[in-house]
Amino acid sequence: MSIIDVKNITYDYHKKDDQGNETESVRALDDVSLEVKEGEFIAVLGHNGSGKSTFAKHLNALLVPTGGTVYICGMDTSDTSNTLEVRKTAGMVFQNPDNQMVASVVDEEVGFGPENMGVPTDEILKRVDDALNSVGMYAYKDSSPTRLSGGQKQRIAIAGILAMKPKCIVADEPTAMLDPKGRADVLKVLHMLNKEQNVTIILITHNMEEVIDADRIFVMEGGKVVMNGSPREIFSHVKELQRLRLDVPEVTKLAFELKQKGLPLRDGILTREEFVNELRLLAKGRV
Amino acid sequence: MFKDITLGQFYPADSVIHRLDPRVKLLGTVVYIASLFIGKTFFTFIPISVFLVMVIILSKVPVSFILRGIKPIIPLLIISAAFNLILTPGDSVIVRFWIITINWEGVFMAIFIILRLLYLVAGTSLLTLTTTPTRLTDGMEKGLRFLTPLKVPVHEIAMMMSIALRFIPILTEEADKIKKAQLARGADFESGNLMKRVRAMIPLLVPLFVSAFRRAGDLAMAMEARCYNGAEGRTKMKPLFYAGRDFIAYGVIFGYLAVVIVMRVFGL
Ligand SMILES: Nc1ncnc2c1ncn2[C@@H]1O[C@H](COP(=O)(O)OP(=O)(O)OP(=O)(O)O)[C@@H](O)[C@H]1O
Ligand SMILES: [Mg+2]
Repeated sequence: MSIIDVKNITYDYHKKDDQGNETESVRALDDVSLEVKEGEFIAVLGHNGSGKSTFAKHLNALLVPTGGTVYICGMDTSDTSNTLEVRKTAGMVFQNPDNQMVASVVDEEVGFGPENMGVPTDEILKRVDDALNSVGMYAYKDSSPTRLSGGQKQRIAIAGILAMKPKCIVADEPTAMLDPKGRADVLKVLHMLNKEQNVTIILITHNMEEVIDADRIFVMEGGKVVMNGSPREIFSHVKELQRLRLDVPEVTKLAFELKQKGLPLRDGILTREEFVNELRLLAKGRV
Repeated sequence: MFKDITLGQFYPADSVIHRLDPRVKLLGTVVYIASLFIGKTFFTFIPISVFLVMVIILSKVPVSFILRGIKPIIPLLIISAAFNLILTPGDSVIVRFWIITINWEGVFMAIFIILRLLYLVAGTSLLTLTTTPTRLTDGMEKGLRFLTPLKVPVHEIAMMMSIALRFIPILTEEADKIKKAQLARGADFESGNLMKRVRAMIPLLVPLFVSAFRRAGDLAMAMEARCYNGAEGRTKMKPLFYAGRDFIAYGVIFGYLAVVIVMRVFGL
């Protein structure tokens, strides 16, 4: 059974005027279907307003689809008796680290989720320690979140989700407000959780460099999933991505442009090493 | 200007007062405030001072920290002292000019009010200085739980308070940022009369409120995503338990209250 099974969902935001009458509705998701298997690392790309956040909120039952069904571990999210169980299964990390923290001390912040779930005290303390160790923030257990850097706050937010022992973490642009160092730290934690604890990760991002290590990429546009495939497959369609107003990693772009100029390079080169190797092979072939 | 707000500030130290159960400290604060209003003469300030000084010494909080909390209320002190000075009725007139009479009763009341407010702020600030916001709200929640059957939303109030305290540093920082941004666009917060200055605050408060509402929306969603569902079925990571020292403290608090009441009864 796939951990996430999305079947033909649509979602409309309704705008209301002062009297509560509906003035217009925006279709934010339009017939989206996809499946994610347990343990996958998924990246979701798409420019502003393409419906990424709306999609993410469906995985956590923060929104339920207007049409179609979302199954999380087989549970229908629109059934309110499943809501808590869905939220335990799929945790969510948001963009702004300050706006998702409830407590004034790091360990209490991490313990908030388990407290809500009714986990016994001893077990909460253990989970909090484990979660803080996992994200490498144990030393800050007693600090105030206000004094931490953005990257550290975001790792605390991840720990807060981890302490709920989810099978899946949905992160909605968790690195958007961070500096490069904080960004790298957060990504490292997400990849580590994926590899070592087999947590399914759905990473929503604008940053192309962050997605090349994903197992699969979904590209969204106008509320639809328009591309779906491995990073190599996705990034071999540079033209298509540019049409969707998305960047590609620098090396990929360079390789693409060289190919346009006639150099017989392979499509979908993702890393510098790959690129260098490819050029070497090419050079050898010439000699 | 926003840096002076010490409300809810915590001074970390390892002291008996810090370790006391928050419910004890809450009751102690209530009793202390009550004692300030029970006392009608300068004599009552003797037990009150003893109590306050004892707590300050035990708490290991530097006096300068407590005094810092007094700075912002100086205007309030001056205004209430002035009103009492002028408006207290009495016969022992000292000076009289135009429509204003100043008498000894007024002088007495003015000094009394200043003392009362100073002691009030100093004493209550000790509560937040020695108690983390979470322990404080935990204490409130558990200490006031007897009100839940009366449909008082104790848990919700406690949660609101702890979130408010958590966001004070974030919002003060933001207020400073907005202020600088508006200053850079030529806004003027310093000059002009009172009306003008109050009006100058509008371009500061509007963005601050807008952002506070956005943050509130984000936070509500984040809490919901983490299975928050009100008090029902919720466990505590750090539950409160009374220790021996808490019972001793209760004894001291009630002893103190008794002394103040007895003094009042005997007209001291
Ligand atoms: N609360 C809302 N009310 C009405 N319309 C909304 C609301 N939230 C989003 N929308 C609309 O839904 C569409 C999808 O928005 P969504 O936030 O999902 O995009 P996104 O891909 O996350 O964008 P971004 O990259 O800016 O985060 C947009 O057209 C947006 O204007
Ligand atoms: Mg978004």
